[in-house]
Amino acid sequence: MSFVTALGLAVAFLVAMPYLAHRLRRRRADERPFAAAHMVPAAPPRARRRSRLEDRGLFALRAAAVVALAVLGASPLVRCSRLSLRREGGASVAMAIVVDDSMSMRAAFNATSGTRFDRALRGARELLGSAREGDAVAIVMAGAPARVALAATSDLGTAKIALDAITQSDRATDLDGAIAMARALVAQLPQVDRRVVVLSDLADGRSDAPPLGEDQSVPVWVALPELRDSQSTGDCGVVAADRSASHVRVSVACGHDASASGREVTLRAGEKTIARGLAPGGNGGDVSIAIPSDAPADLVAHLEGSDAISEDDSAVVVAEAAAPAVAVIADSADEAAATGGAPIVEQALAALRLDVALRPIPAVPDRLEDFAGFVGVIADDPPGFTPEQRRALGAFLEQGGEALIALGPRAAAAPLGATLEPTLAHAVTWGDAKASNGSSVKGARESGAVAALSDAARSLADLGARGRATLAPEDAKAFDTLLAWDDGAPLVARRSIGRGGAWIVTLPFAVGSSDLTLRPGFLALLDVWTDEARALAVPLRIDVGQPWTFASAGDLAVVGPRGALPITRDGAIARVAPPLVGAYRVTLAGKTQTRIAAPVAAEMDLRPRAIAAATQRGALGETHAAVDVSWGVALALLALVFAELAVRVQRARRPEAAA
Amino acid sequence: MSERAVAGRGAIRAALDWGSLAPLRLRSRLVAEGVYAGGHRSARRGAGVEFGGHREYAPGDDLRWLDRRSLLRHERLIVRQFETETDRALRLVVDATASMGYRGSLAPGAKLAFAAVVAAALARIAIANGDPVGLTFIGGGPGVRGVPVSGGREAFERMVATLETAEAGGDPSLDERMLDRALGGIARAARRGSIIVVLSDLIDLPAGAADRIAAMSSRGRVINVVQTLDPDEARLPFEGTVRLRALEGGAVVETDTDATREKYLEAMRNLQDAWERTLVGRGGRLIRAETNEDPVRVVRAVVEAVR
Repeated sequence: MSFVTALGLAVAFLVAMPYLAHRLRRRRADERPFAAAHMVPAAPPRARRRSRLEDRGLFALRAAAVVALAVLGASPLVRCSRLSLRREGGASVAMAIVVDDSMSMRAAFNATSGTRFDRALRGARELLGSAREGDAVAIVMAGAPARVALAATSDLGTAKIALDAITQSDRATDLDGAIAMARALVAQLPQVDRRVVVLSDLADGRSDAPPLGEDQSVPVWVALPELRDSQSTGDCGVVAADRSASHVRVSVACGHDASASGREVTLRAGEKTIARGLAPGGNGGDVSIAIPSDAPADLVAHLEGSDAISEDDSAVVVAEAAAPAVAVIADSADEAAATGGAPIVEQALAALRLDVALRPIPAVPDRLEDFAGFVGVIADDPPGFTPEQRRALGAFLEQGGEALIALGPRAAAAPLGATLEPTLAHAVTWGDAKASNGSSVKGARESGAVAALSDAARSLADLGARGRATLAPEDAKAFDTLLAWDDGAPLVARRSIGRGGAWIVTLPFAVGSSDLTLRPGFLALLDVWTDEARALAVPLRIDVGQPWTFASAGDLAVVGPRGALPITRDGAIARVAPPLVGAYRVTLAGKTQTRIAAPVAAEMDLRPRAIAAATQRGALGETHAAVDVSWGVALALLALVFAELAVRVQRARRPEAAA
Repeated sequence: MSERAVAGRGAIRAALDWGSLAPLRLRSRLVAEGVYAGGHRSARRGAGVEFGGHREYAPGDDLRWLDRRSLLRHERLIVRQFETETDRALRLVVDATASMGYRGSLAPGAKLAFAAVVAAALARIAIANGDPVGLTFIGGGPGVRGVPVSGGREAFERMVATLETAEAGGDPSLDERMLDRALGGIARAARRGSIIVVLSDLIDLPAGAADRIAAMSSRGRVINVVQTLDPDEARLPFEGTVRLRALEGGAVVETDTDATREKYLEAMRNLQDAWERTLVGRGGRLIRAETNEDPVRVVRAVVEAVR
C-alpha cells in the first residue's frame, strides 16, 4: 500500500466521521408493540425537529471543512492533464510554439475535445499558462506555407491575443518549414533554455520522410502524442470538379488505406441533386458525370458518405481549367528545313518540361476570347499585327497576359496598316549587324534586370547573326533592356503593359538567322519568361494556402467563405492566400471572377510523420502538471470556518422556546 | 417483563400472559364471592316449561333432555331446550383478537386474561343463580371455540376450561366477517331477557361494530360492554420518542409521546363516548375497565348494571 493510498483511506475516514457521528446521534427509536398504535398521531422526534436544519447545515459545513482540509494537505499531489514547460534550474525559457492548422487537424480528436486543432490550440494555451515573466514566446503556423503568427516576444499578453486570433485552415502541412522557422525565431534570443514545441498530428503526407526533430540545435518537443496516436477513419475528398459542355469531371483523392469505393459523387444545384455517379475505387481517380444541357451554372460536387474530414468532401464546379498554355506562332517553313521537326522555339519549350501546354497557332488571335486559357503568346518574327489583332493582344496584355516577340526581317517588313502595336509604337528596322551599329556582333551583356539571366548571358557571347532588328529610339526608351548588344542596343527587353508584359528579342528564332536558339541562354530566357507569364496569369484554381499573385492590382478585393481576405502588397504586386478550400470571388478593376482554392491530396493521408526519439524527452515538458490549488482551498476552508461560526451564533440567538 | 411477553404476535398466540391472574378457576371464584349476587329470578329450563328449541349436545348436558327421537332419526345428539318467562341466560362475548393479548408493564396480565377472569366470575355468579351461560369469542387462536348456553356446575367447568386455553389471535381488519360470526348466533338465539356481556378493548373492531353490538339489545335483551384496556392504552405512559407497532393491521407509528399524548387520550375518550352514546341509546351500558384494577369492581359493576 503506497503512501498516497493510505492517505486516501485516512481522508475517507475523516470525511465519514461526521456522517457516522450524525447517524449515531439520530439512531432510530426502539420499536414496541401497542394495540392502539393507529390512534396515536405520528410526530417526528422532538430532538430531530428541533435540530434538523441546524444539524444538516452544520454537518454539511463540517464535512466540507474536513474535505477542504484534506485537499489542502494533498495539494502538492494534485495534478491535472495539461501541458507545461519544464525548466532547467528555474531559468527563463524561449519557446516557439508550432501550431498545425492544416486540414488534417480537422479530424476528430475525441468526442469531448472536438478536433485535433482544438486540442492543439488548448495545448498552446496551457503552455502559455505555464510561461512566466521573462519567458519569450513565438508562434508559428505549420499550415503551408509555414508562417509566423507571432514573432518572439516576452509579452505574454500579446501572445495570448495572438493565440486567440488563430483559426483553423485547410492548408497543407509544412512541418519542416515551420520547425525551421521556429528555430530561427528563438535561436538568437538571450534565453539559454530554448525549445520548439510542436502541436501537430504530424500528418503531412510524408510518412516515409526522415524523422522530425533530428536536428537538435534547438531542441524540439513533440507534445500531445495523443494527437499523433488518435485513431481516425480514412479520408477522401474532392480535389477538382471541372465542367465541360456536357460532363463534369470530378477528381477524388484518398489517403493511405482509404477508399471512396461504394460512395457516390453527386452534383447539386442548391439543395437539388441533378446528377450522380459512383466514386472511383482505390486511392482515388476521376469520375465523369453527364449533366443535362440545361444544368444551372452554379454546381457543387459532393462526395457522399462520411469520413474523417467532411470539409474536403465538396468542391465548386468550375469551367474546365486545364493547365496553363502558351500560344506559339512560328512559321515553320524555314525551321523544318533546318531542324526537320517542330519550330525550334516549340522544341525548346518542350525540352524545358515546363508545366505549361504548348498550343501552336497560325496567327495572333484577333478576338480576346481566343486568348482564353493562354498565359502567354510567343510570336516569332510576326509580319505586324492587324488592327483586330492589336486590339485583342492589347486587351490580353492589359489583363495580365505576357507576350514574347522575336523581331526579324518579316517584322521589319510589315505591310502597310500592320504594325507591332501595342508592343512597339514604331516600326523596326532590319539590317546587317555591322552596318547598323558600326560594330561587330560579338555578344551580349546583361543589364542586371533579371538575375536569372545573369549566368545565361555568358553563353550568349559572340552570337552569330546575319542581322538584327533595331528599335526606334522612342521604343528603346520605353523598354527595360535585359540583355544588350555590345553597342548597348537591346537584345532582350521588357516593358509592362497594363497588368501584363511584353518582351522583345531583336533576333528571330529561326536557326538560319542566328545561333541564338542554339545557346543555353535561350532556354534560360524562355524559362524566365514562362515563370513570369504563369505568375501573372493568376490561375483559376490553386492549392489552398498558396497565394494568388496580381500585378498592378490597384483595386483588388477577394471574398472567401469567411469573408474578405487580407491582401499583401509588395509594390505593384498583390498577393492573396486563401486559407480555406472553396470558392472565392475576386474583384479586380471592377471585374469579378470566381476562383477556387482546392484541397491538397497529401492532407488526406492521415499517417503521422516519424519523429526522432529526442523529441519525446521528458526534460522539455510534461503533460501532467502539478497545479497549485492550495491558495484556493485555503480560502475555501477559511470561508467554511466563518460560515460555521455564523451558524453557531445564529443558533445561540434563537430562543429556546423555538426548540 | 411485558415487552418480553408481548414481543410479537406469534408469541401472543403461543401463550397468553396470565400473569398474576392465574389460576383462572380460583381467581374467578374469589372474584365471584366478592360480588353480591343479584336477587333476580333464576332462569331455568326443564320439564313443565315452554319448549325452547333444539341444540347440539355438548358434554355435560343433562341427559334427561336428550331427544331420543332425533337421535334415532338423524343419528345426532340433540338436546331439547325449554325456557320460562324468567329466563335470563348470560351470553358472554369475549374479544380474543390479537390486540387482547397485549400486556403492558403496569398490568398484572394480558387484557384477554383479565377479560377471562371477569367472564368466569360472571359465569359463576350466573350459574350459582341458576341462569344458563354461553360463551362466544371474537377472533381468537386456531383452537378457540365457544361454549353453548348451558347451566349447572358442568357449564362453569367447561367455561373455565375454554377460557384457560384461549389464545389471542386474528385481525378484524383483515377478516370483516369475524364480528358477524361471533354475534350472529347470539342475535338469532338469545331469548328475551338474556344478558349479553361483551368484553373487548374496542380498539380494533371494524367500523359499525358499536351499532351492531348495540342492536342485540332488542327483544328485551340487556347489553353490557366492558372495555378492557391495558394501563398503557389508557394513559400512554411512554416517554420520549417511540415506534409503536400495532398488533393488528401492521401499522407502525413513530411518535414523540410527550407531544402526542393528549391527542391520543382525546381520541380514546372520543371512542369511548361514541360507544357509550350508542349503547345508552339502546338501553345498554359501557363499563370501562383497566387490567390493573380489581376485577371485583368490574364484575360488580356488570351485576349492578343488569339488576
